[in-house]
Amino acid sequence: MENLEEKLSGKKFWQELVKGILVTNPVFVLVLGLCPTLAVTTSVNNALGMGAGVIFVLLCSNAIISLIRKVTPNMVRIPVFIVVIASFVTVLSLLFEAYIPPLYESLGIYLPLIVVNCIILGRAEVFASKNSVLLSIADGIGSGIGFTLALVLISFLREVLGTGSLVIFGRQLFSIPVLSASPLSIFIMPPGAFIIIALLMAFFRLVGVLKYE
Amino acid sequence: MAGRGNKKIGARIMDGKFYPVIFLAVIVFVAVILLMFVSKITEEKILEQREAKIVAQLKNIFTDMDKYELKDDIYIITKNNETIGYTFIAKGRGYGGEISTLVGLDTDLSIRQIAVISNTETPGLGTRITLTAFTDQFKGLKSADVVLSKNGGKVDAITGATISSTAVTDSVKKELEKKLEIIKKNNY
Amino acid sequence: MNSLLTIFLGMALINNFVLTKFLGLCPFFGVSKKISNAVSMGAAVTLVMVIASSATGIIYNYILVPYKVQFMDIIIYILVIAALVQIVEIIIRRTNITLYNALGIYLPLITTNCAVLGVTLINAQNNFTLVEGIISALGGGIGFTLMIIIMSAIREKNELADTPRSMRGLPIAFIIAAFLSLAFMGFNGLL
Repeated sequence: MENLEEKLSGKKFWQELVKGILVTNPVFVLVLGLCPTLAVTTSVNNALGMGAGVIFVLLCSNAIISLIRKVTPNMVRIPVFIVVIASFVTVLSLLFEAYIPPLYESLGIYLPLIVVNCIILGRAEVFASKNSVLLSIADGIGSGIGFTLALVLISFLREVLGTGSLVIFGRQLFSIPVLSASPLSIFIMPPGAFIIIALLMAFFRLVGVLKYE
Repeated sequence: MAGRGNKKIGARIMDGKFYPVIFLAVIVFVAVILLMFVSKITEEKILEQREAKIVAQLKNIFTDMDKYELKDDIYIITKNNETIGYTFIAKGRGYGGEISTLVGLDTDLSIRQIAVISNTETPGLGTRITLTAFTDQFKGLKSADVVLSKNGGKVDAITGATISSTAVTDSVKKELEKKLEIIKKNNY
Repeated sequence: MNSLLTIFLGMALINNFVLTKFLGLCPFFGVSKKISNAVSMGAAVTLVMVIASSATGIIYNYILVPYKVQFMDIIIYILVIAALVQIVEIIIRRTNITLYNALGIYLPLITTNCAVLGVTLINAQNNFTLVEGIISALGGGIGFTLMIIIMSAIREKNELADTPRSMRGLPIAFIIAAFLSLAFMGFNGLL
């Protein structure tokens, strides 16, 4: 029984991982984790930082929750998930505060708010509590990457249109002269966030990647 | 053989009435231990970072500073063992929350420079208190002048951000008067 | 008194939870299709926010800070919120079953509502006293309720309009939110 599982999990591992990125993309398909998506996408820098953090938490919490899934009583499973997730978010927050202070400051309260990011609780409830540790890790990484990609896409558009240039880790990657002179700063502000995500969703529907409602 | 025996005992424990509560308590306990551990090992680095940030901010106002000493919440800035100025933090309630302002004094006790180091004001409006256009107004002022111009002082408020401007001005004045007393009393 | 009013208006209008801080978005878009549901949701969220901020305010000011264990804040806050939502759920189910059914799954989801945990964190971040924290939560909650009611009123009307197929549902809702956000930016110069 064990050997069969192991053989299957090789191929299934990558399947689960890729699934999280495209088919069940947390932001555009499941529409989860909206709060940080709109708040943190003012720059690609922040988006990458947040994405990395979410991947870390997803990976760790999915692994642990899957590990204890067979001994977790059904009645207290949600509080247990919450404690596990909150612990890893706190660990992440402490690590960022100690080793990457600028990121810690620009993420602000959205860093601890990762705890209530529906993606993480959702994957725990739907997947990690019912599957093996290895597959749960794959699902965690996949969903995390899917989330990060969505964040990077949105922040790329917002930053380039809203400031005219792209700055990552303190180095300016490129700058569009016409835009930097008079940037469309609406995109850096809240209304712009809503507009970008609306247009992206509509676009994905048009090209067939997303289903129509 | 032993495995099957363990399973039976395990199943019996899991059926117990108090098992869910005990399980949750154990999880919380493990979580607390983990967090205490991580908090301990990052404690030093975090304090270091906060320290480095303060030094960077102090150097912003006193570019040629050597060292500083913290006495009574006042940073006494020294260069070559001579006091070249003082700095302290003034806090006030703005629009969106607390505003922290770093106030640097020259040895003649007039304001050398201020810098708003933290705020949660409205982006693009209240946050303009961090810009030099606003903060430069404080240069060279003595305590009596640290009042909004509409109230007879020398600080022009930012249009549309009266509350933010007032918060900075009032907190700087209040803290300045407090700290001046301490400096004079202790002859810093 | 003056500063309490500033905190209240700040949280409700100028730094509106939904449109400026992006907190409470999931229920904002999920429940705003009917005005009656919107009102119930807003009221429930405000209630939880106020009670949660009172409890966490006490915990922060009298336990976390004095004992220097601020790193426990996330776990403790979210557990307090989860317990509160459970209690509120039980109370609503016993007193008003129609309301309970109308809110459906969104009631337990208040636990993961960024606005609730968000306000407790904001209060801690700004070092609010207990009273200031409660006023801030009240302001945030009322601001949220105001927005969700306006949103649902517009969306109800929008149902009758001829929306392009790719924009139907969530995308057009986001555009509506964008306009609301733009309009509310006008409050910035208020005080």
